[in-house]
Amino acid sequence: MKERNLFAIIVLSLVLIAVGYLVATSVDLSWLMPAQASERAVLVDRLFRFMMGIATVVFLIVEGALIYAVLRFRQKPGDESDARPVHGNNTLEIVWTLIPAVIVAVIGVYSYRVLTEVERVPDDPLVVRVISQQFSWRFEYPESGVSANVLHLPVDRPVQFQIESRDVIHSFWVPEFRVKRDATPGQIDELVLTPSQIGRYPIRCAELCGPGHAAMVSEVIVESEEDFQAWIEAGGVEVLDAGKGVPAGDKLPDDPLAAGRVVFTKYGCGACHTLDEAKTGGIVGPSLSDIGRVAAERLQGVNAVDYVRSSIVETDAFVVDGYPSGVMPNDFGERMTPEELDVLVEYLLSQ
Amino acid sequence: MSVNTAAMTEKVDWRKYFTWNTDHKVIGIQYLVTTFFFFIVGGALAMLVRTELGQPGTDLLDGVEYNRFLTNHGSVMIFLWIIPVLAGFGNYLIPLMIGARDMAFPNLNALSFWLIPPAGVLMIASFFVGSAESGWTAYVPLSVTAPLGQTLWAVSVIILGVSSLLGAINFVTTTLTMRAEGMGFWDLPLFVWGMLATALMILVATPMLTAGLILIALDRVAGTLFFDVAAGGDPVFWQNIFWFYSHPAVYIMILPGMGIISEIFPVFSRKPIFGYKAIAISSMAISVLGLTVWAHHMFTSGMNPALRIPYMITSMIIAVPTGIKIFSWLGTIWDGKLRFTTPMLFALGFISMFLIGGITGIFLASIPVDLHVHDTYFVVAHLHFVLFGGSVSAVYAGLYYWFPKITGRKYDERLGKVHFWMNFIGTNLSYLPMFLAGLLGMPRRVVDYAPEFTGVNQLATVGAYLLGLSTLPFLYNAIVSWARGPRAESNPWRALTLEWTTSSPPPEHNFDERPVMKIWPYSYGEVEVESEATGPVASAGD
Repeated sequence: MKERNLFAIIVLSLVLIAVGYLVATSVDLSWLMPAQASERAVLVDRLFRFMMGIATVVFLIVEGALIYAVLRFRQKPGDESDARPVHGNNTLEIVWTLIPAVIVAVIGVYSYRVLTEVERVPDDPLVVRVISQQFSWRFEYPESGVSANVLHLPVDRPVQFQIESRDVIHSFWVPEFRVKRDATPGQIDELVLTPSQIGRYPIRCAELCGPGHAAMVSEVIVESEEDFQAWIEAGGVEVLDAGKGVPAGDKLPDDPLAAGRVVFTKYGCGACHTLDEAKTGGIVGPSLSDIGRVAAERLQGVNAVDYVRSSIVETDAFVVDGYPSGVMPNDFGERMTPEELDVLVEYLLSQ
Repeated sequence: MSVNTAAMTEKVDWRKYFTWNTDHKVIGIQYLVTTFFFFIVGGALAMLVRTELGQPGTDLLDGVEYNRFLTNHGSVMIFLWIIPVLAGFGNYLIPLMIGARDMAFPNLNALSFWLIPPAGVLMIASFFVGSAESGWTAYVPLSVTAPLGQTLWAVSVIILGVSSLLGAINFVTTTLTMRAEGMGFWDLPLFVWGMLATALMILVATPMLTAGLILIALDRVAGTLFFDVAAGGDPVFWQNIFWFYSHPAVYIMILPGMGIISEIFPVFSRKPIFGYKAIAISSMAISVLGLTVWAHHMFTSGMNPALRIPYMITSMIIAVPTGIKIFSWLGTIWDGKLRFTTPMLFALGFISMFLIGGITGIFLASIPVDLHVHDTYFVVAHLHFVLFGGSVSAVYAGLYYWFPKITGRKYDERLGKVHFWMNFIGTNLSYLPMFLAGLLGMPRRVVDYAPEFTGVNQLATVGAYLLGLSTLPFLYNAIVSWARGPRAESNPWRALTLEWTTSSPPPEHNFDERPVMKIWPYSYGEVEVESEATGPVASAGD
């Protein structure tokens, strides 16, 4: 009887180890994670798989023992007697103290090694400043002076982000890169990684930052070194004509409406404002879809042009009932060129 | 033979539950009923949040409303439900379990209860003046600039912290000084051990949060600049203060629950608890270690990178005492004669779901993995498996287990089982998909999400509705059984802890004769536990 038990335990242990090994090495777990778009993602996913292997074994042991006990040790009908009293078992208790201790030690050491590997600061990285504020992202490339609100990165080149916040805490997260870093006001937080796969990936804010938190999204475009350089040389202006891809350039399009749309997109207005013409659905601020009509009628003695212009450059010039005050950034007046401001106002008034 | 008949003939004066009363049993019931009311409030908020998340887009709530609802959901559930409901169990049970006449400081005890209703009113009232909307974590600077309701929120949580502290002082003093003759520390029921470990943590950690909230309140109303970056304040400093309390708070919310199920397994397995000392010591170990792990919530923040390593190590070590408990419970039911009563089902459900919360905690402690899953739905899933699959399961287990003792009535087993299965399926359906959402890239606390997360969110919403519905059979069962259920004997479960040696419900003075501890509380299979007909078993004074 004893030997049979021992045999069963050995067989069971081998089966469990095999299952754990398979989960950690060969079972397809790619559905659990988004694409691997950085070198860091590969290392993190390997660690994650390793932990999934162990977790699966622990899960099976505990749930298995639980289900076995529930099925096997139920009270027999009519048996009101107590069970055989057992108060403990020193060997067993030492084993189930030591094994978890060893497991977490191994996971701890492995995690530490991955951590030092992924956080090693490379020589001569591309430096990108990430400037966050409610509820938009801006990316500045100090070497070239380019600034944009969509992040462009060359593939396979190490990049160092310098992350800062203009207001509250945000968190810069690209799931496909497997890393996030808080943007804390008053300090610059650094983050290094190397994009390894060409593609477009979402940037999401991961720290609750106010009513527009969910809309604080942008995009990272990982592209070839040539495409990246071309974009930098073109001044980095993101021109999105409802997805048609008007060529990027320093100059605004000649058509004033197209130019206005470019400015609207460039400054991330759509993160907070719905504007049908630009296909944006922000909900933090009032909808601008018929702002041309509203601006003329809303306030006595304020003409439409003044209303729109003041609303852009002067935070809380006119706060619409039901919307929070103090939310819209107050530096658009400084960041926009006079030309940009003019075409934006004209564009909005045409709505 | 003194089967106490007083309780059976005396008409219950319900008015005493609405007045200043120093009887620990009245106070215990005040706690349990009041906090369950707040559980319903917090649950209703969760239903609204899940309804909004049932599909992408913002249909029901806008960004401001959504943040208010999620902030109040978290705050109500933690500060007005789980922490105080467990204090309610402590109040009702500790004196009975250690054979005392009452708590050490009965008036202080009444005060610690009566602080809760005004604090709850303040928190709910904050809805009408522009509620707190920066999450239960109240990270600065967001929480400093939030509307007036944030101040009310802070005052409410300060009051609840004081209540919790007063309760802890009472629990520790009572346990240390008022045990029955013959009851040493190694004779304490494991629930009392759990409450002792919890109370010690509260004494160390809660003052920190309370002090921190006073600073936030001062920043908001008195023009101080503790957290103002422009004036040299440091937002990360608040995170240290907050998590110094709020991570231990997780253990404050789980250790009493672990105590509850440690009482239930031996009774319904008819076996001694396996590894009594190991369970008791691991509670104390968690209580000490739990004070040293807080910064694992801050791996993505601007904390000193080198300091992350020790926090990773301590966080992982917590798995060891936790594992000891889980294996000891399995050892208890192993080779037992299991009775699947409702409390037993909830206790078994506790193990199976808390395990998932525990394992995923190791993933979160591993810094490289955490940098991906931190602040995502993975964390939401993890914490709900710990606090709902774990703590709330234990609370339900305890409510059913002690229902006959507290009310003197039997509850309906059939409805109890319906409740268990709805709760068990609902919990897994609601929270398992959230792990996937988080891993795939969905941040937490968002009113809207990318369309690819629709499927997992719909599952979670269906599960949440099932959880909401599951409270109905419980409420019906509790109310109807309390009013007209069959009379319960003094010891319907044939249990050995001292609370079962007095009548159900116990008389105001608890025990007719001063109890003397004669039988170790887990001696199943070693002593004859007499059935009800012949009266109490381990009582004393004969």
